[in-house]
Amino acid sequence: MSRASRELLPVATGTRIRTVLTGLLRPHRARALAALAALVAGAASGLLTAPLLGRIVDVVASRQGADAVTGPVLLLVVVALVQGVLAVLGAALVARVGESMLAELRERFVARALGLPLERIEEAGSGDLTSRVTADVQQVGEAVRDAVPRFAQAALIIALTLVGMAVLDWRFLVAALLAVPIQIATARWYLRRSGPIYAEQRRAGGAQQQQLLDTVGGAGTVRAFGLADTHSAKVRTRSEDVVRLALDVVRFQTRFFGRLNGAEFIGVAAVLAVGFWLVEDGTATIGTASAAALYFINLFGPINQVLFLLDIAQSATASLARIVGVADVAPEERPATPARPVDATVVTKDLGHSYVDGHPVLDGVDLRLEPGARVALVGASGAGKTTLAKLVAGVHRPTTGVVRIGGATLEDQGQDVVRETVALITQEVHVFAGPLAEDLRLARPDATDEQLRAALGVVEALEWVDALDQGLATVVGSGGYELTVVQAQQLALARLVLADRPVAVLDEATAEAGSAGSRVLERAALSALAGRTGLMVAHRLTQAATADQVVVLDAGRIVEQGTHADLVAAGGRYAALWSAWSDERDEPQPSS
Amino acid sequence: MTPQVITGRAVLLDSIRHHRRQLVTASVLLCGHQGGEALVPVLVGVVIDRAVGTGDTASLLFWLAVLGLDFLLLSLCYRFGARKAWQADVRADQRMRHAVADRVLHPGGGAEAGRLPGALTSIAVADAKRVGVLNFVLPLGVAGLAALVVATVSLLWISLPLGLLILLGSPPLLYVVHLLGKPLERRSGPEQERAAQASGVAADLVAGVRVLKGIGAEPAAVRRYTATSRDALGATLRATGAQARYSGSVLAVNGLFLALVALVGGRLAAEGSITVGGLVSAVGLAQFLLGPLEIFGYVNARFAQARASAARIAEVRSAAPAVTGGRDVLPADGPGRLTLRGLRSTAGQDPVDLDIAAGETVGLVADPATATGLLAVLGREQEPAAGTVELDGIDLTRVAPAAARAAVLVATHDARLFSGTVLDNIRAGLPPDTGGDVAERAMRAAQADQVAEALPDGEHTEIAEQGSSLSGGQRQRVALARALAVGAATRAPVLVLHDPTTAVDTVTEARIAAGLRAIRGGRTTLVLTSSPALLATVDRVVVLDGARRAEGSHAELLRADAGYRELVLS
Repeated sequence: MSRASRELLPVATGTRIRTVLTGLLRPHRARALAALAALVAGAASGLLTAPLLGRIVDVVASRQGADAVTGPVLLLVVVALVQGVLAVLGAALVARVGESMLAELRERFVARALGLPLERIEEAGSGDLTSRVTADVQQVGEAVRDAVPRFAQAALIIALTLVGMAVLDWRFLVAALLAVPIQIATARWYLRRSGPIYAEQRRAGGAQQQQLLDTVGGAGTVRAFGLADTHSAKVRTRSEDVVRLALDVVRFQTRFFGRLNGAEFIGVAAVLAVGFWLVEDGTATIGTASAAALYFINLFGPINQVLFLLDIAQSATASLARIVGVADVAPEERPATPARPVDATVVTKDLGHSYVDGHPVLDGVDLRLEPGARVALVGASGAGKTTLAKLVAGVHRPTTGVVRIGGATLEDQGQDVVRETVALITQEVHVFAGPLAEDLRLARPDATDEQLRAALGVVEALEWVDALDQGLATVVGSGGYELTVVQAQQLALARLVLADRPVAVLDEATAEAGSAGSRVLERAALSALAGRTGLMVAHRLTQAATADQVVVLDAGRIVEQGTHADLVAAGGRYAALWSAWSDERDEPQPSS
Repeated sequence: MTPQVITGRAVLLDSIRHHRRQLVTASVLLCGHQGGEALVPVLVGVVIDRAVGTGDTASLLFWLAVLGLDFLLLSLCYRFGARKAWQADVRADQRMRHAVADRVLHPGGGAEAGRLPGALTSIAVADAKRVGVLNFVLPLGVAGLAALVVATVSLLWISLPLGLLILLGSPPLLYVVHLLGKPLERRSGPEQERAAQASGVAADLVAGVRVLKGIGAEPAAVRRYTATSRDALGATLRATGAQARYSGSVLAVNGLFLALVALVGGRLAAEGSITVGGLVSAVGLAQFLLGPLEIFGYVNARFAQARASAARIAEVRSAAPAVTGGRDVLPADGPGRLTLRGLRSTAGQDPVDLDIAAGETVGLVADPATATGLLAVLGREQEPAAGTVELDGIDLTRVAPAAARAAVLVATHDARLFSGTVLDNIRAGLPPDTGGDVAERAMRAAQADQVAEALPDGEHTEIAEQGSSLSGGQRQRVALARALAVGAATRAPVLVLHDPTTAVDTVTEARIAAGLRAIRGGRTTLVLTSSPALLATVDRVVVLDGARRAEGSHAELLRADAGYRELVLS
């Protein structure tokens, strides 16, 4: 699939994961050792149960009287209490260590992910990044919270039980180990198949979810175009896939458990047979034989658990590789002494860019924006407007030529300074989930409520914000109050005002806004740009008409440049567009 | 025709009843499994009594063979029982999902009113699953009961007093465990929420990374996430602390109960009222019994969840339809004359009267509220509050909704694209045997051919979810081509377009205006827009701006009407 080939974000190697985990563990070393000690001691004390029960059996078998039972029973009470206390300690310590490491890792991940160059995120598609921060972090989190402690506990119990059986008599250990080859073979068989089959199941679940979202979200469109039957069939195809895979999975899992049942029988029969032989031989008491059998029966649960959890461990490791991969990305190189712009002049010299070698989408662009000037870019799709906007904002590195802001090239300024110099609003609309004020404060963390309100006032958004139930405190974004496209764009412009950069590049979409909304946004953009050098991609010619300068791009080159009036008078491409727009030779005065 | 009203209880019962055969089979098989499991400790005790204790080899071989048979039985019973139960589960789940999807797709609409797509999808997926899972836990519960019976009989057979102690002691034991878990339950809800919130914040910030970078807000975002993450860590640690105390207590309580059983059993064995093997079996059974008893708690919890989910499913399925239709039939090849009389989409609005002649193209400049209401009524998404819409003299509300929509195709500007290729989307509304030239002409007219050209696989490029891999302008052109294709192929008499070019650049918009004119020539078309480029090419422009009405050609109105100029050019 094309999605897979686009996965350009790094995935860490096993060695690298180990190194990172060791690094994360270092500050918690003492606590980790204590956790391990508690778990081992807990499992060991639990193992005393079976021999104590065996002791009771022996007491009974040797007819020592009913009161002789009391001693081992009291010891059983002590074991129960000690085991409980150690379990509390062990689990709490393991969680503390594991959760702290996980928190550290996810914070590092988010910091690195947000620090990735935009160019790189756009190449990889943000979907990959999002799935890492949600699905992968959750997978590892669940493993840390649930699978790892259970796995460790079960493994310890198994190891210590085997030791315990060897202490009773080494031949019991040999008998118990007869089950191991079957268990190993089963585990290998299981792990070989489980990865692909679960991945397939997740994929089918995702496809079904997507189809339902598609159908439900587009129900109006489905009705308008009479597509109900097609969509019903699509939903059914997807859900049949899900059912088929679910049935495959249960068949697979029951076979897995079936094989383990076989191993259980072989083990328990062997242990009983050895017990029979040793008792007959006089080497062991009947109590010892009972203890060995009880030991082995109690292993069924932990063994199943360890083998079943191997699969979770496997997928958690894969997720971990994807998280560490990003958390490990080296931060971008920054110039040692970044150049600082002296003013807000923007100059491009012989600027060119190609996404694919030999296919320039922008070529030889020379442009000069005086401080505070507003320049509108006009041209058909594919003319290079967005590319030019991105080059000026420092998102892409130019293939040829340079961009200078305030006399310093963007390269000499480095990303940190560039971000303080130029703000960019792209076609991507995103409202950050949470209180509206918090969304705005991303642009200026120390802004007072008054400053926020002032910024909202500039973009004509104050009125509707005040009309919201809780004003600035209203929870917006995903899961909160849903803003209209126009409101979301106004919010983006308000952030621009708050961020207060000397240069602003606007390539915002008025696409979904409708024509009335577009007008509101045009006015808001004009106010937001006041006092800044502004480069804007014009979607409506009215935007161009009010700009200080209009630049017409065609096939990556500047073909016309001048004021609206000059260009209309010149009778070139721009004039032709304008006349198609206004349907009049005698041009009406655009109101501004 | 109209969706039936149904209760949550009915949804639940129907789901179980529909799969009763599988459920009975699964229950019988799983009973076999649980019974077999219960027999394992009993048989181990027997081996110790009859073979290890006596040294009788024949007896050892015989009882080991019995044990082997028991393992075979329990393993096979589990294998096929679990499969059957699981089958009933996923099939029930699927059936429920289809019912929800079908209700959403019902021509009467109305199911998605007041519900976000995500919430509806979650009802179709998560709630359906919770109801379906009952079909899995029901046989488990029955089997748990069977295991309880087998274990009880075995225990009472080994020793009456010891059996009674274990049987009467286990429920209070579980009750104590339940009480210990109470604070945990209370705590875990909010804690989990906090943890989920951290993940949500991270996803949200990553999704908005371009916006953050545009204003240099990454450091602020990282600081915010770190604070949320630390908060979540604290919450998780408190929850795991409680969890650890809980599981530790459970372990201790179980251990103490076992000690009690050992004490009583040991004394009974010492007094000779039970055998040594009987003691071993009883201890094993005491441990085993906790399993089935826990199953009951689990089944109970699932039932509570399923009831809530079934209620939500029932609510969607019973949603009132947004529109109903009549039995009138539209003429097959009507000329396409559209007449609006005193039309109000909502009660407070100014009435709209509009006549569109057959084959005429009208540009409509309307305020947003009027436009939205008009589109909903014309598209039969909503009943008019007053007045009528007639197509060739037939009231659209008296026609089946699907037929009305086929005759008057409304393409709103927020129309969705669906997963599939660009061409799949454009051909979506066409009969399958339509020739390729129709889609091609529509693509040319909407300038969607330019979109295809810019994509890696041309018109065969797959579109990501809801068209998110396309830019706004590309999406808009593909959606327009889809509408034009339907109009061209099926001779839908009337096409209503809403802001079809807001996201495309001015150069392309001018080309689309020309293309639209060419492909719709002589066919009734209504374009709701304020784009001068489109308005300049229509036969007639009508202004419905609040109470203000005006009419004429674009050029006339520009010259004569300052208000119009303000509306479309500012």
